[in-house]
Amino acid sequence: MDARSLKVGLPLPDVVVPVTRKMIIMGATASRDWQPQHHDPEHARKAGLPDIIMNNYTQAGLISRYVTDWSGPEGRIGRLRFAMRRPICPAADVHFSGMIVDVASHGHPLCWVEVDIELKCQDRVVTTATARLALPREPGAPSPWRCSPADWKP
Amino acid sequence: MDDLPDLVAGWIGKPVIVVDHVITVERGLWANFCVAVQDGNPLYWTYAAAEALTGSVIAPPAMLPSWAIEHDWLPDRATPALRTLELHFMVKDALGITHGLVREVELVLHEPLRPGDSVRAEQILRSVSPVHDTRLGRGRSWVIDVVYRKPDGQLAGIQTLHLLGYDKPPAHDKAHDKEPH
Repeated sequence: MDARSLKVGLPLPDVVVPVTRKMIIMGATASRDWQPQHHDPEHARKAGLPDIIMNNYTQAGLISRYVTDWSGPEGRIGRLRFAMRRPICPAADVHFSGMIVDVASHGHPLCWVEVDIELKCQDRVVTTATARLALPREPGAPSPWRCSPADWKP
Repeated sequence: MDDLPDLVAGWIGKPVIVVDHVITVERGLWANFCVAVQDGNPLYWTYAAAEALTGSVIAPPAMLPSWAIEHDWLPDRATPALRTLELHFMVKDALGITHGLVREVELVLHEPLRPGDSVRAEQILRSVSPVHDTRLGRGRSWVIDVVYRKPDGQLAGIQTLHLLGYDKPPAHDKAHDKEPH
């Protein structure tokens, strides 16, 4: 991706992720989260939830994937913020959409891009997120992954 | 700060819970996470592709907090495992609040984790709101930072969690959630 082509208002491609019971349980297990509302439907319903719900680590993983599938592996996420407004349950089709809201590269060896992201199920927003990621300022410029810890300011 | 119990007020600003090297970062473990979220980023999978960019394969950065969750079971352990985000439960219990949920999460990511790494995580209570009414019931909000460092002290990341604790009003008998997502 050539960061010089990025502008505020540019949308990211929409992506639909079919969420299955298996995905929710795999995500919770792989992220080592043993809270019962992520694998035990009876427990979840007793807590007033419609079914088991996706945990925040799996949501972070899906949002991260959405961003780096778009940016390519040179994109290095420095900051990821998300608010969970409604639970994500099995059999939901989660629609991801995003838009660039800030691009900053002047006076810096990296290009910092901020992206607002929405996750919707049946036209209802379930999660909102903002990701700030770094890209090489131009083709051939240093990769953000080679940035020294002292210079990495996410 | 209104009637915040001294016990909770005394936790603010200092590491109350420390989780240190409970598991070694391994590619086989993070591959399970990548499978779950269907993330094919070559930095997590392909040594040759990762070498050019990051020097080695790295763990998915979004998975950082998972490396500081205690094993659910250990041989000969005398006490129960710490719960995920133990400090949140301590605050909730000390305030006598029944329900809790995560409202917002922020991850600030620094040095990536590589095979063989581990993390030390410090849970720090940053603030607790006065009692207020929410649509779920009367309760308080609080903010917890978790600071993750590698064994050499390098900062791996900081997770900030905005949490809500509440008690359902008597007529409202349908809970939304019980513990953090």
